[in-house]
Amino acid sequence: MTPDTALSDRELMVSRLIEGPRDVVFEAFTEVQHLSRWWGPKGFTTTTRTFEFSEGGVWEFTMHGPDGSDYPEWIQWMEIRPPEVIVLRHGEGPDDPEQFSSTFIFEERTDGTRVTLRSEFKTKALRDRAAEEYGAIEGANQTLDSLATYVTGRSERPNE
Amino acid sequence: MILDMARARTTADAFNAIAEPHRREILTLLKGRERVVSDIADAMGMNQPAVSKHLRVLREVGLVYVHPEGKQRRYGLDARGLEPVHGWTGGFDEYWSESLERLNTYVKKRQREEER
Repeated sequence: MTPDTALSDRELMVSRLIEGPRDVVFEAFTEVQHLSRWWGPKGFTTTTRTFEFSEGGVWEFTMHGPDGSDYPEWIQWMEIRPPEVIVLRHGEGPDDPEQFSSTFIFEERTDGTRVTLRSEFKTKALRDRAAEEYGAIEGANQTLDSLATYVTGRSERPNE
Repeated sequence: MILDMARARTTADAFNAIAEPHRREILTLLKGRERVVSDIADAMGMNQPAVSKHLRVLREVGLVYVHPEGKQRRYGLDARGLEPVHGWTGGFDEYWSESLERLNTYVKKRQREEER
């Protein structure tokens, strides 16, 4: 697969230029001490239970959101081709029926490394849901941040 | 008016309603506790009719509920109205754009450390 192959309706893609040589960028994906420094949106932290970076190896961890909510994460590496490609399965656990497959592609550019992530979901419906509420995080606006956070803590309203 | 037709009504949805800074301030004030209009007006340094107008918009898009209590009407935040906003800000694209932004910062930092 290349970053430019047309997307199916079960896929999502994101791409950006990272300002560093490809081996350094790739290395940031290979160890917990690196991954824990950047994996997840702004304000998120991770606690790792298991980590083995090898094909078939697993990374089990919890993501802590800035609002205090925890998200169980389970990742299994399916293919590791340094420093070009990483393919992994991603879900809440090994038996998660909604697991999806993600491919990271690392390409050398004159001014850095282009990292492209393509995720393929089992159905279009799962893809559409991920597009809208993947990880359930807050936006940039601080007011919206705190209000959106509040949504998760409030499920009922009093009778009107 | 043509101008009005071109612009989305403030009561069209939660996004339009919270585009106005005073209305966001009201929502923040209502977070975690119900308040009466005079209370909100005092906290914001606004007059009551202006606050009532904002509350009406927020009610129409389902961001605020009203809870009559005796002679008083107490307003509260209905967080379910924010779900479209919450969902919009929390998609795959946002998640990974932010992660890769952090990756970029981290990679740059490591290179600076190596140069030392």
